[in-house]
Amino acid sequence: MPHRLLKYGFSDHHPEPRMFRDVKHLKPEYDAVIIGGGGHGLAAAYYLGKDHGVSNVAVLEQGYLGGGGTGRNTAIVRSNYLTPEGARFYQASVELFQDLSRELDYNLFYSERGHFTLAHSPASLRTQRWRAEVNQHLGIDSQVVDPKFIQSQIPQIDLTCGGHQPPIHGALFHPPGAIARHDAVAWAYARGADRYGAEIHQQTAVTDIEVRDGAVIGVHTDRGYIKTRKVLSAVAGWTTHITKMVGLRTPLVIYPLQAMVTEPLKPWLNHIVVSASLHVYVSQSSRGELVAGASLDPYELISSRSTLDFAESMSGHLLDLFPCLPQVNVLRQWAGMCDMTPDFSPIMGLTPIEGFYLDSGWGTWGFKATPISGKTMAFTLANNRDHDLIEAFNLSRFERCQLVGEKGAASVGH
Amino acid sequence: MKILTCPLNGPRPIQEFHYGGEFRPPLDPAQLNDADWGQEVHHRHGEPGVKREWWYHTASGTWFIAERDNLQDRVIQTYLYTPERGND
Amino acid sequence: MTSRLPPQPGEWINREQPLDFQFEGVSYQGFTGDVLSSALWANGVRVLGRSFKYHRPRGIYSLANHDANALVSVGSRTNLRADCLPLEANLQASAVNTLGSVSRDHLAIMDRFSRFLPVGFYYKAFHTPRRLFPFYENQMRKVAGLGRIDPQYREAATAKQYDFCDLLIVGAGPAGLSAAVDAGERGLRVILVDENPHPGGSFTWQWRRHAEALERCEQLLNRVHALDNIDLRVGTLAAGCYSDRWVALFDQQRMTKLRAAAVLVASGCFEQPAVFQNNDAPGIMLGSAAQRLVHRYAVQPFSQGVILGANRDAYRLASDLTTHGIDVTAICDLRPEGESSPAGTRVQELGIPIYRGYTIYQAETRRRGTQLTGVIACPLDRQGDTQPQAGLSLPCDGVAVSVGWAPDAGLLYQAGARFQYQSAVEQFVPHTLPPGLFAAGRVNGIFSWADQCIDGQRAARAAAIHLGHPDITEIPTLTHQGTPPSHPYPIFPHPEKHNFVDFDEDIHLADFKNAHQEGYDNIELVKRFTTVGMGPSQGKLSNMNAIRILARQNNATIDATGTTTSRPFQHPVPIGHLAGRRFHPLRRTPLDAWHRQAGAQMAHAGAWLRPEYYGAADERAQSILAEAEHVRQRVGLIDVSTLGKLQVTGPDAAEFLERIYTGRFQKQSTQRLRYGLACDETGTVLEDGVIARLAHDHFYVTATSGGSGSFYRELLRWRQLFQLDVQISNLTGQLAALNLAGPDSRDVLKELTCIDISGEAFPYLGVRVGTVAGVPATLMRVGFVGELGYEIHVPASSAVHVWEQLCETGRPFGLKPFGVETQRLLRLEKGHLIVGHDTDALTYPAEADLQWAIAQNKPFFVGSRSLEILQKRPLMRKLVGFRLKDTEDKPFPEECHLILDGETIVGRVTSIARDSTLKHPIGMAFVEPRLASPGSPLAIRTAPGTTVTGEVCSLPFYDPDNLRQQ
Repeated sequence: MPHRLLKYGFSDHHPEPRMFRDVKHLKPEYDAVIIGGGGHGLAAAYYLGKDHGVSNVAVLEQGYLGGGGTGRNTAIVRSNYLTPEGARFYQASVELFQDLSRELDYNLFYSERGHFTLAHSPASLRTQRWRAEVNQHLGIDSQVVDPKFIQSQIPQIDLTCGGHQPPIHGALFHPPGAIARHDAVAWAYARGADRYGAEIHQQTAVTDIEVRDGAVIGVHTDRGYIKTRKVLSAVAGWTTHITKMVGLRTPLVIYPLQAMVTEPLKPWLNHIVVSASLHVYVSQSSRGELVAGASLDPYELISSRSTLDFAESMSGHLLDLFPCLPQVNVLRQWAGMCDMTPDFSPIMGLTPIEGFYLDSGWGTWGFKATPISGKTMAFTLANNRDHDLIEAFNLSRFERCQLVGEKGAASVGH
Repeated sequence: MKILTCPLNGPRPIQEFHYGGEFRPPLDPAQLNDADWGQEVHHRHGEPGVKREWWYHTASGTWFIAERDNLQDRVIQTYLYTPERGND
Repeated sequence: MTSRLPPQPGEWINREQPLDFQFEGVSYQGFTGDVLSSALWANGVRVLGRSFKYHRPRGIYSLANHDANALVSVGSRTNLRADCLPLEANLQASAVNTLGSVSRDHLAIMDRFSRFLPVGFYYKAFHTPRRLFPFYENQMRKVAGLGRIDPQYREAATAKQYDFCDLLIVGAGPAGLSAAVDAGERGLRVILVDENPHPGGSFTWQWRRHAEALERCEQLLNRVHALDNIDLRVGTLAAGCYSDRWVALFDQQRMTKLRAAAVLVASGCFEQPAVFQNNDAPGIMLGSAAQRLVHRYAVQPFSQGVILGANRDAYRLASDLTTHGIDVTAICDLRPEGESSPAGTRVQELGIPIYRGYTIYQAETRRRGTQLTGVIACPLDRQGDTQPQAGLSLPCDGVAVSVGWAPDAGLLYQAGARFQYQSAVEQFVPHTLPPGLFAAGRVNGIFSWADQCIDGQRAARAAAIHLGHPDITEIPTLTHQGTPPSHPYPIFPHPEKHNFVDFDEDIHLADFKNAHQEGYDNIELVKRFTTVGMGPSQGKLSNMNAIRILARQNNATIDATGTTTSRPFQHPVPIGHLAGRRFHPLRRTPLDAWHRQAGAQMAHAGAWLRPEYYGAADERAQSILAEAEHVRQRVGLIDVSTLGKLQVTGPDAAEFLERIYTGRFQKQSTQRLRYGLACDETGTVLEDGVIARLAHDHFYVTATSGGSGSFYRELLRWRQLFQLDVQISNLTGQLAALNLAGPDSRDVLKELTCIDISGEAFPYLGVRVGTVAGVPATLMRVGFVGELGYEIHVPASSAVHVWEQLCETGRPFGLKPFGVETQRLLRLEKGHLIVGHDTDALTYPAEADLQWAIAQNKPFFVGSRSLEILQKRPLMRKLVGFRLKDTEDKPFPEECHLILDGETIVGRVTSIARDSTLKHPIGMAFVEPRLASPGSPLAIRTAPGTTVTGEVCSLPFYDPDNLRQQ
């Protein structure tokens, strides 16, 4: 047992302070206001303090910390993307993640499990090879493997999919693919941001953003008005709500993404298994639950309601891959909201409105980008210039018709 | 499973339909400069509210417009597209 | 030792049918009708399971189908709740998550360390040094988790069922039964479900000694059985309520998907625990559990018990237990005023000591916590705080807890109901219900059985009015009379910290204090940090107390504290039932059987199955090359029925096609083909095919196999938007298509058709309608594979006939069938790209060298304005052909290998063939334009650190002057 636990047993009082200050009042003015107290917003606040010495920062969260996408995703981290821009960006995120528990002194349960993206046809194996080639060239551990290797790593998998689906031809295997305790990422960044001076205000909704002469001058909240010259929107499923306040049009549309979790089981699945053609990704949490998700809902909706259709098709596809599971019980299903872009890459950085910055378009792939989006957005806010890693993701790419085609790697990739 | 009303076939389960995205009135390409066109082609009205959307009833091949509240998932009305009704 | 009582009226067990079973390897006997928990309890077994984290012994707690601490494995099945597992002959069950046995679980040592493992301890340790975390995680994973899955387990898929009704009623207790009868007599088609094996709800355990209630129950059941339009389904769980009252019902066999015009939830309440030291010891249970044991299973819950109460139910319970010979040594009533109703008086008359304003401070156990020996009760001061120094010891072997209730409101929440905390009942009650949703009975805050019956009728009538039934007399809304059935704060601290709030997850009171101290002060954060409510029972016994604790910590109201979101499912449901039988569409061409018989290697292509080539699996390359050579030299036949086949007719047909495709069609001659390229609005290549003009207002269009379905759909949309007079039909499934190709193809075909197919009469890119082998056919002169060839489109029903006739006629010419892989090789030699294979999701025509297909000066086509923009900027990449120079001793390039310039990615291979009829490897690749001119060297990365050199050459590789296909 680690010695760190001893203090709990031998102290009369719980020896842990509040993770962040409970600030009662909003200040009249901040150097930067971050809308959204999820992983991205809190990480941006943390790196603003740590890397750039900007400490007069408020993070405004309409609900509770990590209550949006951060707490609703299936917590997969990987970097085996298709475009060099994407792969480089996510690789930087993986590298930050790998050391993040130590840096934030909070166990994020960052668990490298190995990530399989199954291919059920020669065509999808081609795409996997494309990804592997780009990945390897950029130094990312990623390779195409054959069915025999898959079976040796995941003995329970049925490569024939019970005859219900085209058989598994191979997979893209990404050994660093990991899962993490998603809520903890938000909490740890919150604590870190607080230590660098940022104020975290939960239950504080932004009602409007004041723009004068094309530049942000302040933010209205349900707790009053605050002056600021810099506003970062990091609100996932609510981005379109925020951009409307500043009159900014984007390609973003909001779709729900559903997931479900089973009762806890003793460890039997050590890897993360993804099948794009079966719309399924599944891993076993450290608590023993199977956490499984699918592709986006079939139509736009700004709501996290559940559907039975999802639970049915998800279950069917799980059984196609793992026929031993029919008697395993599903405990709960839930949904999150995803702001989707046409090219499956995020929209980040400067916007035509001076002082209004976007960290959006995170679709179904936002969690894995938490550290690097925080870091690059902090840089962008501090320098009023897009960080090199996110230049390709600027909103202006759409009017220039210069998209970053990540669809092949991001959809159902998680 | 939600029920959606096809203007030709009446109320049907939503599995029979395909979502076709936001309805956008046809634009005159000649009226727009390059950047404006790039924006028009890619940008959407994704904010919360009642939206006009394309829906397709797969079984009968019927495209129609639904006015739907994308926060409540409530359909206000559905009707077939006509230039008079669609492009106002 | 047996705790079985003499026969009870209405008991659920059948004493005529004893059953032998085993638990943890020990043999016992029970009865048909028992659940595992009741049978074990009857046999004196008190430890049914171990807790998740500290491995504490646990017994029966709710006996209401959510005892998540008594989970067992039976054979390959695991995580089964013993309180709803029907006893079967020779059942062999064992507890999950123990090391050793349930009675001597070696992991119980975790309990000793619990002081070192406070809430969230795992966030505070194990992560440094980083290299040790995998070790710690492995250990944690092993001790976490409950049941073990059997990797060999298989189960036949069960069919799902669909159903519909006017009114679904959930819960067949007093309110549900009354509602069903009221609605049934009105003629509504009613489905009444109850998750228990028998109807009656609280009638069957709480009101068993109440003659009037029993009589009502019987009357109601008789009416329910008598009315044909009431479908009573016991053993059926309403597990989730979705949009537009789409409800998932589960029974032992299957899932039923039900569409109800109205849903009435009369699901009742979950009785709630009190929080005191060792409140989880076996023998401590809810009052309702004790009564379920007695009345349903005729099992004595304990012989000498203390009741911890805070409502009238506790007093009824005391009388009830006494009647059954159970020694109730005391009632500790949390309320200083006690119970003044007749129920209270009766208990006084029975001589049971009543300690008003007392709580149980702690429970005493021996034998490592497995045996309850007594409790220490102590008075509460005016603030409700415990006064342990004034504690008194009460020996007992059981405790029944009756301190309050929480609504079984999951379905209502899921369906969009909003709740409000009502202090008259000290519980959440529905505040607003969406249209078509109704609530009645305890879930609605109504607690006397007679009132529940009225409330059920009231709700049934409201539902009937909603459904449009005329002339209905409404019943006014009832309110609860008397003292609240729930105590506002049945939660008591203790320095030793084994006072559990969540039994599933072993979370005790101090964990909440500590979480709050760390800043987790929102109900959702509390849930996520402490994991309260995340266990198998999903907080049925813990969420309400968690809210009460947090409200007090935050000095807020219960309403302001709020609840966590309720999600499906009501109880855990099996993946197998959710999945049911799986239907996956698979499309076979009309020639499928022929291909298989001919030894084709079939492969999935989208939804289709197609022959890749004909021959042995281990002779792939040879077979493909041989087929290709044969087409080049003689004649081959391929099934291309998967092609999209669309008919476009009407006066505006040509105009329509001109708006969709990049080319021109207004002036296209009849009996002629043109290549058609379609882009989307952003200018990306979407589709290609050939467009045949059969008449001035009649076009026949082919589209790609994979894309034609969605392309057809898009065409219908454009048609509506353009408002043109044009009809579009998708003939893909109706017609088969065969491609006869090779120098001898004309000689084969002419035997079978009366159409003049001489080169002059039917030139390249011509189209003719006539007959082939006596069957109406459309013939098209196409050159995809680069040889003289005819695409023959015939009705699907005649495909085999025509195919066989062609084979027969072609025999003297050596005609052989060829597959898709061969076709891919042939088209590559000819330099034809395949959309979606050589193009990607962002390719626009200029990149793919398709500029020639775009008509100049056309006012509009889909994507034209975007292409204008794209064409203004320098090309970033170009699709080129290449051949290989040095392939010896190096890994051969594959599709999607990268092309490098030093460390920079400058391109990607899209198609490659090692063996071709040209006798050397060829391929196509996207490269940067500076590398696109013939002769440019390409460094293709085929392995880490290894490149193979290719050389760009002009396309097509084969027959550049197009002489062969003329």
